[in-house]
Amino acid sequence: MTTMTTPDHGDALLAGLAALAPSDAPDLTDRVFDGWLAVPSRIGPVRVASTRDGVSFLRRAADLDDEGFRAAYRDRFGRPLRPARSVPDDLEAALDGDAGARPRLDLLALTDFQRDVLAATRTIPAGETRSYAWVAAEIGRPRAVRAAGTALATNPVPLLIPCHRVVPSHGDVGRYIFGVPVKQALLQSEKAEEKT
Amino acid sequence: MTGAGVAETVAGERAAPSDPDAGRVSAALAEGLDVGFAELYRAYHGVVFAVALRTTGHRADAEDLAAESLLRAYRALSGYDARRIRALSPRPWLLTIVLNTRRNQVRDAARRPRGADGEVPERPVPGPTVEEHAEHRETGEHLAASLAQLTDTQRHAVVLRHVADLPIGEVAEVLGCPVGTAKSHVSRGLTRLRACIENGAGTARPAERG
Repeated sequence: MTTMTTPDHGDALLAGLAALAPSDAPDLTDRVFDGWLAVPSRIGPVRVASTRDGVSFLRRAADLDDEGFRAAYRDRFGRPLRPARSVPDDLEAALDGDAGARPRLDLLALTDFQRDVLAATRTIPAGETRSYAWVAAEIGRPRAVRAAGTALATNPVPLLIPCHRVVPSHGDVGRYIFGVPVKQALLQSEKAEEKT
Repeated sequence: MTGAGVAETVAGERAAPSDPDAGRVSAALAEGLDVGFAELYRAYHGVVFAVALRTTGHRADAEDLAAESLLRAYRALSGYDARRIRALSPRPWLLTIVLNTRRNQVRDAARRPRGADGEVPERPVPGPTVEEHAEHRETGEHLAASLAQLTDTQRHAVVLRHVADLPIGEVAEVLGCPVGTAKSHVSRGLTRLRACIENGAGTARPAERG
């Protein structure tokens, strides 16, 4: 039996405590940092951020520089960005307009309502459009037309979720996160492609 | 700031190194938040995990706690101006967030109907030397279990000072108390640890033999 009052024991205790420090801290970077990269798209270069669960944010390079993109991401998601290690699967094809390419998306930061709106919108085929009222009805909230419009206006991943295919019931093409001319051009080119 | 009245009972007490990364990390953060935060992660994720591990007692919980604490730190930093960031002592500031985050987790878990999940370390993680020597395994498990017998403040004080190897000034900063009080918490914690070890309390065995 050792006695507990000797200086030796004190040293042993301190050494034992020091040895409790793990020598192998796990790599938490995937959980703490999201990745971002710049890629071409059919509306020009875009910046895209993704978590380990999927693509979470997309904006035009023309609208936001590097720091502006980081700041927008920080404001919206409260997470740091670092350069992405790889391009998310299917991302480049989807941005190129390939309807069959469906990259994984991370929409966890959204409300259930916003997610429902975006999920319904994602089902609208290229070459077609739907009204805001259709989206609201589709998710079982027929009176929430205006709220559906707001959810689409803050779509974190335009192009990948084709919010440009949602238009007012009457009149012009309505508003778009990247501006009305871009929306018109996208709809026209999709219509033309469907005809060929 | 004096430790008046607090008897230093620990043999071989020595000063822990002051934080060599503080200046570099603060400057990088003031320069650009995301790049600076990557620097902060590199410098401190080890100590954040070490404290998280000894606070939760479970490796998976510790990873959750460490990641959550780092994200909270990032969100806090994004609201600070450059002057406040430069004035920051990053290591004790971060470890304060770890302990607060853990406190919130425990409180939230207690409010949930099923409750008790991972409140206090019940099945502590053995120290890193386990694979090497059976004797050390015994000591590591025993010691980790004994740590669970301390009050929160004593455990935090002992872990910060002797597992994370923080200087007493930083321990005091994390605990939010004067240096003398921090010394006293460490000292009482060590005394209690010795008693626990002596009595065999906190061993993984169900009861004492004999």
